[in-house]
Amino acid sequence: MPYYIGDVIKDEKRLIARTPEKFRETGVDVRVNTRVEEVDGKAGAVRLSDGTSLPYDVLVLGTGAVPLMPGIPGEDLEGVFTLKKLSDARKIKAWLRDLPCRKAIIIGAGFIGMEMSEAIRNLGIETQLFCRRKLPASRWDPEFGKTILAELERHQVRFVSEVETQAIEKGKEYRLRLITSRGEEEADMVLMAVGIRPDTGLAGKMGLPLGKTGAIQVNFSQQAGREGVYAVGDCAESFHRVSGRWVNIPLGDIANKQGRVAGVNIGGGNMVFPGIVGAQCFKVFDLEVAATGLDEREAAAAGFHPVSTLIQGSAIAGSMPGNKPLGLKLIADKATGRLLGAQAVGEIGAVSRINTLSAALWAGFTVDDAGWMDLAYAPPVGGSWDPIHIAAQQLRRQI
Amino acid sequence: MGKSVVIVGAGAGGASAAAEARRRDPSLAIAMIEQGPQVSVAA
Repeated sequence: MPYYIGDVIKDEKRLIARTPEKFRETGVDVRVNTRVEEVDGKAGAVRLSDGTSLPYDVLVLGTGAVPLMPGIPGEDLEGVFTLKKLSDARKIKAWLRDLPCRKAIIIGAGFIGMEMSEAIRNLGIETQLFCRRKLPASRWDPEFGKTILAELERHQVRFVSEVETQAIEKGKEYRLRLITSRGEEEADMVLMAVGIRPDTGLAGKMGLPLGKTGAIQVNFSQQAGREGVYAVGDCAESFHRVSGRWVNIPLGDIANKQGRVAGVNIGGGNMVFPGIVGAQCFKVFDLEVAATGLDEREAAAAGFHPVSTLIQGSAIAGSMPGNKPLGLKLIADKATGRLLGAQAVGEIGAVSRINTLSAALWAGFTVDDAGWMDLAYAPPVGGSWDPIHIAAQQLRRQI
Repeated sequence: MGKSVVIVGAGAGGASAAAEARRRDPSLAIAMIEQGPQVSVAA
């Protein structure tokens, strides 16, 4: 959706994988603009916002996630947005186009905050990014945070660090005025991108067990804690294959897979969702930012003894024109040598390394395995020692 | 008539479940309820 707002994807229809009509052609009764108000688990029926009821034998909860709000005065003013639904994207796009919008403030420097900084800045709008922390993308090592910060600044996005948002008022020179712990700033729009939480309103009312993450507990078949009830996507937990814990990572690729597993089982098949390793990435301007597995904090919390190394290598052979630096961090367990996580940042090749390392995590590789992996090599696409080899061989010495 | 399936939410998860259940068992009665105006929208 940020790419739709930024006019990179011009046609809204391209965002829609399958229309209600296409579903209806297959005999699925699709009801849009309709809410499920209540689930009567005993009777096996849902009550809809149009006043009707629908009986069910099998219920699937795919209720998604909702944006978090900071809970400050003025956050409901016109011109303050969140981005989760297509209707949000439409509203933001209209606001940016019709005003015209001269200046935007984005609050929160996670995935949405970063992608939206690029989208709005590339529309020629003055953009500021406000963050509670010192550096953007706190999931990544501070050294990578500095690289990302430099990329934002190179594209004239002003990064305001260690700032708490306190209130929003009507502005004088611009539409809105933001009051913060570090003074006041005016802008024509404010985007709240401080995170999302699983939408478990219905699940809660049904008394379904929720996990420590706040998302719906499921088993490997996507069944929630009651006969005939499934949960899939952002509202449900996933099994993390590295930590061995249940986590909530709200990403569309995970939702697709969980939905398919539930669909197979509902359709009479037998399928399990084998879990995730936490692979994730975003692009901000020219940088690929990617991570997989655990960071040191998560690793320690899962009972490992994390050690790590961070290298600045080359995305392709150092001798080749067009070479770009590639930062790669590997995290492993000191006790067993098992690979636990990886992070990569660079203009090219960061995501491809993280995807390779995701496969390694999936398979339970040690750092030693990673250090000797056979990877495709040619100078225009990599070095004879890939950054993965270099980092793994270096980390091996700490184990 | 097969079982009745009600899917709450037509995002990536719900829409995938609907499509796959339909593929597997044409006799299922499947309803998908979505509060927004569209289904199956990429984030």
